[in-house]
Amino acid sequence: MKKSQNIEDDAYRRRAKVLPQYMQNKLAVTYFVIMLAFLALIVVIYRLVKNKNEEYNHIVLSQRQASYGSRTIPYRRGDIMDRNGTVLATSQKVYSLILDPKVIYSSKSNDYEKSTIDALVEGMGYDRDEVTAAIQKNRESSYVSYAQELSYDQKAAFQSYIEKKNQEYKKQYLPDRIKGIWFEDNYKRYYPYKSLGCNIIGFSNKQGTDGNGGVEQYYNDTLIGTNGREYGYLNEDVKLQSVIREPSNGNSIVTTMNTNIQSSLEKYLAQWQNDDVGSKIAAAIVMNPKNGEILAMGSTNRFDLNNPRELDPALYPDSYLRELGITEARRAYRRENPDKDPITDEQVPDVYTEKEILAYGRQVAWNSVWRNYIISDTYEPGSTAKPFTIAGALEEAAISPGTTFNCEGYVELNDGYNVWRIKCNRHDGHGVLDATQSLMYSCNVYLMRAAFAEGISNFIKYQHLFGFGEKTGVDLPAEADATGLLYDEDKMGRTDLATNSFGQNFNVSMIQMAAAYCSILNGGSYYRPHVVKQILNPNGTVIEDVRPELLRVTASKSTCDFIKKALFETVEEGTGKLAKIQGYHVGGKTGTAEKLPRKAKNYLVSFCGFAPIEDPQVLVYVVVDTPNLPGEEQATASFATKIEQKIMNDALQFLNVAAQGETDPENSINKLIGSGSEGISSQSMGGSQDEEGEDASAESSEEGDNASTEEESRAFLENIDDEKVDSFDDSYELPEPDSGASQESE
Amino acid sequence: MAQKRKVRRFYDYSLLFVVIFLTGFGLVMLYSASSYSAFMEHHGDAMFYLKRQAIFSVIGIVGMLVVSKVLDYHLLQRFNMPIYFVSGIFVILTAIIGLSSHGSTRWLRIGGINFQPSELMKIGVIVMLSSRIVRNGNNANKKNNIIYCLAVGLLPAAFIGLSNLSTGIIIAGITVAMIFIVCRNYVVFAALGGLVGICYIYAYQIAQFCNKFNLLKDYQCKRIFAWKDPASFEDATFQTLQGLYAIGSGGIFGKGLGESVQKFLMPEAQNDMIFTIICEELGLFGAVSLVILYLIIISRMLEIAWNAPDMFGSLLVFGIMCHISLQVILNIAVATNSIPNTGITLPFISYGGTSLILLLLEIGVCLCVSNRTVLER
Repeated sequence: MKKSQNIEDDAYRRRAKVLPQYMQNKLAVTYFVIMLAFLALIVVIYRLVKNKNEEYNHIVLSQRQASYGSRTIPYRRGDIMDRNGTVLATSQKVYSLILDPKVIYSSKSNDYEKSTIDALVEGMGYDRDEVTAAIQKNRESSYVSYAQELSYDQKAAFQSYIEKKNQEYKKQYLPDRIKGIWFEDNYKRYYPYKSLGCNIIGFSNKQGTDGNGGVEQYYNDTLIGTNGREYGYLNEDVKLQSVIREPSNGNSIVTTMNTNIQSSLEKYLAQWQNDDVGSKIAAAIVMNPKNGEILAMGSTNRFDLNNPRELDPALYPDSYLRELGITEARRAYRRENPDKDPITDEQVPDVYTEKEILAYGRQVAWNSVWRNYIISDTYEPGSTAKPFTIAGALEEAAISPGTTFNCEGYVELNDGYNVWRIKCNRHDGHGVLDATQSLMYSCNVYLMRAAFAEGISNFIKYQHLFGFGEKTGVDLPAEADATGLLYDEDKMGRTDLATNSFGQNFNVSMIQMAAAYCSILNGGSYYRPHVVKQILNPNGTVIEDVRPELLRVTASKSTCDFIKKALFETVEEGTGKLAKIQGYHVGGKTGTAEKLPRKAKNYLVSFCGFAPIEDPQVLVYVVVDTPNLPGEEQATASFATKIEQKIMNDALQFLNVAAQGETDPENSINKLIGSGSEGISSQSMGGSQDEEGEDASAESSEEGDNASTEEESRAFLENIDDEKVDSFDDSYELPEPDSGASQESE
Repeated sequence: MAQKRKVRRFYDYSLLFVVIFLTGFGLVMLYSASSYSAFMEHHGDAMFYLKRQAIFSVIGIVGMLVVSKVLDYHLLQRFNMPIYFVSGIFVILTAIIGLSSHGSTRWLRIGGINFQPSELMKIGVIVMLSSRIVRNGNNANKKNNIIYCLAVGLLPAAFIGLSNLSTGIIIAGITVAMIFIVCRNYVVFAALGGLVGICYIYAYQIAQFCNKFNLLKDYQCKRIFAWKDPASFEDATFQTLQGLYAIGSGGIFGKGLGESVQKFLMPEAQNDMIFTIICEELGLFGAVSLVILYLIIISRMLEIAWNAPDMFGSLLVFGIMCHISLQVILNIAVATNSIPNTGITLPFISYGGTSLILLLLEIGVCLCVSNRTVLER
């Protein structure tokens, strides 16, 4: 330390000698500039960190997610089964072939392209040009879904082919390898019975995430699961590892549907539609009255659940689709441009392309094909509603079973301005009838008298008690909104009460009618109609039992017993004779309703039957809307009765309902199956037109056997008169007196 | 120095230790940055780059110690011509028979070892310039000599610049800095600095001009366009953008050693863009620490140049100092997208055998110069 001064002096001397002063200055300047540059760079980094930290963190994380190539493992949508476990809808595992061009081009000397394309052409039989184009066009991509819905066999065969080929290349010391091909799991929804129970089951979209119609839609949340995922991560040895979060599969649903009854129902509806008179639409529902389970339901509108969008070109030719499309496009235009002037049909092609018009048309056509008539459509029920009027009147003690009224063939009402004469189906009158006979012969006059005795407010109360004007709450989508289909108490006049009493002038849906009948048959308990019995988890364990849900009590046991008995008499001796099944005590009620507009003279005929009368186990309700016959000839309730009888016969046997007497071996279900008539006949609605006349005559001659029905038909035909009676127009206001149209009900 | 007392010589241990530390730190960061790509590209050998770089480091450090203790840096003065011309011949050979990588020819394969002659050329130019300036002595300021010196530096710079612009720029930078030291003039250099500044600001327009007349290579122009207008050149800016994401996402203290995410995405993270990975893993703190380490090295070199026993040693150390600082500055500037993307390695840290060994040898020369500084009692 003592010499430090010397050293410094010495150093200074040396320095001065070695580097001139100006060079030392310049050295310092250079150092200073370097320092400045460093400082500037640190400032740049600081600003980057300060301003962009959050934003860049986000980008980095999202890039990381993408680069780890996590892939989705799809869940399996739950199955749908009938009550006996027959699978109605299932998801089959299929495979998509995925190409990874980035991997295919990962070799510097491009060793993989040719061998991979060769493999795709030879192993899978794809077109070489197409494969090459698909790979070359997406060079930068890692995911090209080239083929879908391959079966397991196809996948396994191709995988072993690739392995074998790669081994060969290896043995021959060639650099070629098959790379960048892998398979992705998927599920395909499959409906083994095609169109069977299409309205109950519905169909799901391709991905299995959503349902359209039926159980598929209503129970979508139950059927879907949660997708799994495969994540990649790097372990300590920087190896890419994968973690798999297994998908949780959807739950399965056991419906209340009975496949056998369902196929009988569809068979007989198809027979009616194709080999008999046929109609605009016919529909039927089979229920268990004890708990509201729907055993079968269907209409003549059927579609293959596997190809729900396939339209029958005979029914929906392009010209018709275009027609539908133009109307729909006009509506769509008004919806989308509410403030502009609506366009006319002629202007539609200026606004929409031909393709769009056809698309609209197809949409309309699909909706009408998929529509569940039983739940979504309403109509005036006609005489099948009469038991509820009688039940209400009995409950309120307005009448007793022994109360008699004299039917003179009409009831005259005077509202102060007009005189209304509402006729009975039998012009000359039924004479003196009691309650049972009124149902047996379907006498309008008795019903009107009973309703008058009951009064408007009580009548309306019982309409609502029996579920009219309310949603039944059935577990199927698109149930018709029933509010506004009935009269409010303050708007109902005497004429309305009169017509309502025998089932005209208010609207119901088939499900409402069937559910209301069920309540009478089981002694007054109104159960929510339902199609789902159980929910199973993916392992098949029951996780939920759907219990019958009692909504309300509609009528007393004695009233119900009386109605059942009266309806049994109706089949035995009255208007429903065609519904008889040898060996069983069948009850039922016919109905013939004139449709709106009354001038068109279109009819909707129906029959609601049940058996056995002592302990009803099956209810079958059939509606035939607008039979393919001219005018009043449609008004033949036996069309519906005969369909009902056949369905009932099969259903009783499928359900092993004990017979009350000797059954007819001719009606044995085994015989019917043996004759090969069982099975789902495909629906083709075209053929019935030319046979129509013949059918109609056959129909009337058949009816000759049944005096009462024939008489009623005749009576009805006689009733086409010029007398001003009653009119129903489209609104439910008091009808215009001079828009003359008679209304009849058998 | 004729005293009989034992001569005590200075040896800059602080420089030695900082450099060894930096090399070690470089290996750690290199492993972190390269293990993934090494694993993917070299059949599961995650340590592929680390092992090679470690071998180079050991060779370099031994070489550095040998040069600093055993050899005399005056040998360089004596053999300045052979060193310069051999380097030149290698550079020319590279252009003719070199190996290609990333679109430009930079590698020469001799006896199974690839090396980059352009790295050698840097040393050649530093040695040549130092000895020229010393030989010119008091006439160093004369115009002819200046022009001669310029030619010595700028000719190889221009030639290398054709295939490897960044190395060309560094050689030119070293040349200008060394001439700056020698010249008494400030104005010309201030003007030159201004010109560079203008070029920096109007780089886009200049690049457009160059592009029109094919003065620069296509990829070089593109990099300038991409620098100024990243949106239109997403492919070209991929590396730069990922680098910026890495720096930005690192934050103040980084994600932690080995926790970088960007290294999985960044092509060749162990090369030019390793600084961004350091920023991501160690944050702003790590980046500043690293810059301070470089500053220490540069300060030590300034000290050695200041106290060098002779002009040649002083200029030699100054040239090396310029070389290292230019590379650090340009590398970080590229990483932060302050200048167009160009391949400049980060001294002692980026992967690259030639560069690392030669840099360590250069430090050896500096240490050798420091070792010649005699401390008197």
